[in-house]
Amino acid sequence: MKRSFFGFIKPKLTYEPITDTQAEPVYIQAPQKIRFLLDTPVDRSGDLKLSVGDQVKNGQRIQVTADAKDYALASKVGKITDISPFIGMMQAKMTAVTVAVDAEANKAVDDEFKEQSQTPSLEVAQRFLHALPGKPDFSPFFDSDKQIKAIVVLGVDRDLLSITNQFFVKTGIESIKTGIDILRKITGIHNVVLAVPESLVQVAGASEAGVKTVDSEYPAAHPQLIVRHVLADEIKAGDADGNADVAFFSAEAVSAMGAAFNTGQLPMNKLITLISKNGNKRLVCATIGTPLRDILNRFNETVQDGDRVIFGGPMTGVSVYTLDHPVQPDTDTIMIQDRTQIPERLDVACINCGECVRICPVNIPVNVLVRLLEAEHYEEAEANAELGACIECGLCEFVCESRIPIFQHIKLAKHSLEVMKAEESNA
Amino acid sequence: MPEPIKLTVSHASFWHNGSRISLKNYNILLVTLLAVIPGLLRYGIPALSVVTLSIASAMIWELIMNFLTRRPVSIGDGNAALMGMLFAMMLPAITPWWVILVGTFFTIVIGKQIYGGIGGNPFQPAVLAMAVLMLSWGGYFDFNEALVSYQFDFNPVYPLVLAKSFGTGAVEGFNSVDLLLGRQVGGIGTSCVLGLIIGGAYLMLRGYIRWEISISFIVGMFVTAFCFHQANPEVYASGSFHLLTGYSLFGAFYLATEDSSSPVNFIPMLIYGVLGGFLTVLIRNIGTHIDGVIFAILVINIINPLIDKIRPRTLRKGVNYA
Repeated sequence: MKRSFFGFIKPKLTYEPITDTQAEPVYIQAPQKIRFLLDTPVDRSGDLKLSVGDQVKNGQRIQVTADAKDYALASKVGKITDISPFIGMMQAKMTAVTVAVDAEANKAVDDEFKEQSQTPSLEVAQRFLHALPGKPDFSPFFDSDKQIKAIVVLGVDRDLLSITNQFFVKTGIESIKTGIDILRKITGIHNVVLAVPESLVQVAGASEAGVKTVDSEYPAAHPQLIVRHVLADEIKAGDADGNADVAFFSAEAVSAMGAAFNTGQLPMNKLITLISKNGNKRLVCATIGTPLRDILNRFNETVQDGDRVIFGGPMTGVSVYTLDHPVQPDTDTIMIQDRTQIPERLDVACINCGECVRICPVNIPVNVLVRLLEAEHYEEAEANAELGACIECGLCEFVCESRIPIFQHIKLAKHSLEVMKAEESNA
Repeated sequence: MPEPIKLTVSHASFWHNGSRISLKNYNILLVTLLAVIPGLLRYGIPALSVVTLSIASAMIWELIMNFLTRRPVSIGDGNAALMGMLFAMMLPAITPWWVILVGTFFTIVIGKQIYGGIGGNPFQPAVLAMAVLMLSWGGYFDFNEALVSYQFDFNPVYPLVLAKSFGTGAVEGFNSVDLLLGRQVGGIGTSCVLGLIIGGAYLMLRGYIRWEISISFIVGMFVTAFCFHQANPEVYASGSFHLLTGYSLFGAFYLATEDSSSPVNFIPMLIYGVLGGFLTVLIRNIGTHIDGVIFAILVINIINPLIDKIRPRTLRKGVNYA
């Protein structure tokens, strides 16, 4: 993954295609404790819906407060042993709920979903399926500002090295088809596109959705770039003012959705591409909420002080700070980096070499942007240096000769602007 | 309970392509030797002392400024050494020590550090220093005067002076092969044109300098000189003569391509380069100065921020996505 010897050959980062010899996923045994991270802070209001000692059943919704929008689905039967605050990205105040699994009573199922699944609808999906593996997001359909004209099912993986979604297309196209049928039924949108890498086009045909090929070069599988390059014609043709919206679902999410409505049971196993320190890749199937530690122990992966564990891929993932970090509905990839493999980042000024400008997939003047961001002129960056156009692919930082953490600057700037806007509207 | 493992936590992206500033500077420094070593062989120990003093003093100025401005020591990135080297390459082999010290002072302190160090300089630092010195103590940069004590087995007059004063007829004695092999009077590291070309080609292939700038500089220069030559072949020398003499190719490969003072977008790079070449020939042919490279590059450095605003349209969301 180094720069090529010849500078004019730009680094070509290509998505990993799934191979025919890919081993079946390894199942991780039921953990003793499972953990869920919820976006609602635990201390926001008095009316907590949860308390330590509560029993949870399989598939039961776990919400911090009654009016909280986000929820987790209990993936095992057990008892809540701990509810504590958790700090997420950009100091987001979150809640961690720990459940001690009761191995004996493993069959007890919460039947709220089973009853409602008889009449599939968007409301039911929104209420129960958001925490399924693949984290399907139904909120665009409830947003009155948006007019969804098409649904894209991503049979490609967002980041490098991951093969999670490709695996579902390759081995489970039938269940994706079921999921797509249900999606069409509950949304009323018939224009469903399955985006796949070239090697999976043949298989994808069985889905009876429109199959589109996505280029293998990073970041072609970015949803925004798929819309621009792969769907541009269709959407423009369908909508005169070019203002159509597209909803995205991962192949895993669609497949889980299909299974949920067909069987009345909520699938709770998340498929993960696990990348070891030496670059070995395996597919792992773990219950949502399984702590990282259990997965590492299963494969005798040792992690030492100074190593880095990344949830998500090498370009856009998030590094975690504890081995108790649980598998979440959208954890497609877990990557372990030895401390000797961690590339250095520096506090040197931009030397204006322009590598970032030439690699940016959306033509942002990154050299201008980074100067404004380093000086914390976020509003000016938004107005004059196209901060808002960034699709967050991480390539500028990958090629930065000064080794500036550009991606972090961008994320921080966007976050700060959001906070400023929120404060203004509150004032 | 065992001590929890302290993981490294940082923001994406978690990979890097391995490039770094020092790697680039050391590579450039290394290939300058292709042009410098023939110069050292020709001019001997005095040239060696000019080069070493220039590099050493540039690094010392940088170090002094690091301490004065209380910033991290930055001589490790190789930029100060490179600037010292580039400055020395333009000098005649016999140059008084104090001229070199003043020159590297202007290069590092005035040209670079007062703007905040690497990446902040609006001008290529060595070019700025050279311009200041040429205007202040021009006599030391008259190659005919400076190198008068040397015996050469070729025409010992600076070719550009001949061309400027006596027209094309006076430079007919120079053939391209001789010029290419450095059989001409000039700066320590600027007369062996072949070494400059090999070095420049290497740097362009490796991507350490932007080929767009170098190539367009050369094209701009050649085309302008060609037009002059066609208009009046007796007064104005040919395009290839202009390219192979003075600081031409040195400027195209090493001076105009300095990162901070040159544009990064494709079309601006072409404009920048062509304009540099055009101005060089203009100054040589109808200006008062003998070699126009230094002043041409200063001028294109000035317009760099303006022309670099010409850039491809940012792709905003053409269609909204949910």
